Amino acid sequence: MTTQHIVSAFDRDLVGAQAKVMKMAGLVEEAMAQVAIALETNDLAKADAVRKNDKAIDALDEDIKHECARILATRSPTASDLRTVLTVMSISSNLERCGDYAKNIAKRTTVLTNATPINGVAAALRGMQNAVSSMIKDVLEAYIQRDVARAEDVRDRDNQVDEMYNTLFRSLLTHMMEDSQNITACMHLHFIAKNIERMGDHTTSIAEQVIYLVTGEMPDEDRPKSDLTAFTTPEDLGEA
Amino acid sequence: MDDLRTVSKDVDANNTKISAKNVQVYYGDTHAIKDVNVEIKERTVTAFIGPSGCGKSTFLRSINRMNDTIDICRVEGDIRIDGKDIYDRDVDPVQLRARVGMVFQKPNPFPKSIYDNIAYGPKIHGLAKTKAEMDEIVEKSLRRGAIWNEVKDRLHAPGTGLSGGQQQRLCIARAIATEPDVLLMDEPCSALDPIATSQVEELIDQLRESYTVVIVTHSMQQAARVSQKTAFFHLGNLVEYGNTDDIFTNPKDPRTESYISGRIG
Repeated sequence: MTTQHIVSAFDRDLVGAQAKVMKMAGLVEEAMAQVAIALETNDLAKADAVRKNDKAIDALDEDIKHECARILATRSPTASDLRTVLTVMSISSNLERCGDYAKNIAKRTTVLTNATPINGVAAALRGMQNAVSSMIKDVLEAYIQRDVARAEDVRDRDNQVDEMYNTLFRSLLTHMMEDSQNITACMHLHFIAKNIERMGDHTTSIAEQVIYLVTGEMPDEDRPKSDLTAFTTPEDLGEA
Repeated sequence: MDDLRTVSKDVDANNTKISAKNVQVYYGDTHAIKDVNVEIKERTVTAFIGPSGCGKSTFLRSINRMNDTIDICRVEGDIRIDGKDIYDRDVDPVQLRARVGMVFQKPNPFPKSIYDNIAYGPKIHGLAKTKAEMDEIVEKSLRRGAIWNEVKDRLHAPGTGLSGGQQQRLCIARAIATEPDVLLMDEPCSALDPIATSQVEELIDQLRESYTVVIVTHSMQQAARVSQKTAFFHLGNLVEYGNTDDIFTNPKDPRTESYISGRIG
């Protein structure tokens, strides 16, 4: 819908709420990029900044929810307007969670600077991080352009992140079994990997919201999922 | 979730009650309704929405031949209730209107007692043989009109002395008294305050158990609240007809979207 509402303040409300989501998305992208650098370079000041900046993301989320409640109460949006408000609320929640995961990674970075480095894990994490960052970048582009094909592509790519996470999970398990000295670092690295994997899930959820916003239909649940770690035991490692 | 909603909303909603095919209505040279086709389901509330002058009231009025009373008005096409062509030569419009009751925008009780307002129709149509039978019809109608408790102690007070919302429910009770199958409502709440509106909306939802209700409303929120099916009219055309849930969340026609979301279009 490109035409304007008869009540122009309604247009301003909708544009305003979406602008806040984009601002929030910018902060989340920045947090993810900064925390990745902090982790790789053991930059504690940077990690600390990411933790502090999460407050701004949380505040925006609250602001957006408040704004959406006001729009629902006062404007009674219907059809694509209603879907706009609903998706803004949902995407805001997804972004807020991504912000929390970045903050959590920043906390663990502080512990990891004092722990034994684990070979090869940094590169694997970087791979996951890059994959999720590019998913977020694309899903935001899909949101702005109302591009369903692009959103579907993002949704399908979550599979790759899951596979990277599986591989890393098994590798961390192996490290821990080889030497119990590695356990502290490996546990934290595992949570970091899990956080990134969860960010991928939230990004997928945003992609689904974009599809709903444009088509009015939620996509089917049967997308391929590859996170198998819930069923992985030490005995499985021998088969790999 | 879907199943629950279907059970609570679409009671017996599978049979067609009113079927309109290729309906055209003219006022003199003005083509007011253009080739409307619609199947209105039994025991369902169907809302007609659209901007002023779109033909929704005209179409509503052709369902009980109220347009017959306008000299320059001409109706073409086929409108059937329970399969029977209501414009057939052997149909008596007065009998038809007993079966297809109507409620108007402004409450219009007769300047008579509450009792006589209800008894008027049944008397004309000879529905009661004795005073006791008439009393029963009056009580039943007032109960169905959700106003019995408010008026049972003053049945012989004038109907015009009631509040606006009560008058409108009295008019609905009056329409019910002749035991119609279909109730047509032309903006029944536009002259009522929000509380009275809620009471009438609650009543409409109850009436759905026994009647097929067709309501014309300017309030889209009202259409969304009370109806299971919605038809959107624009410039004499029926643009879109479907489940109310779908029309208000995901309309198929851009004109419907423009109208219900308050855009110029």
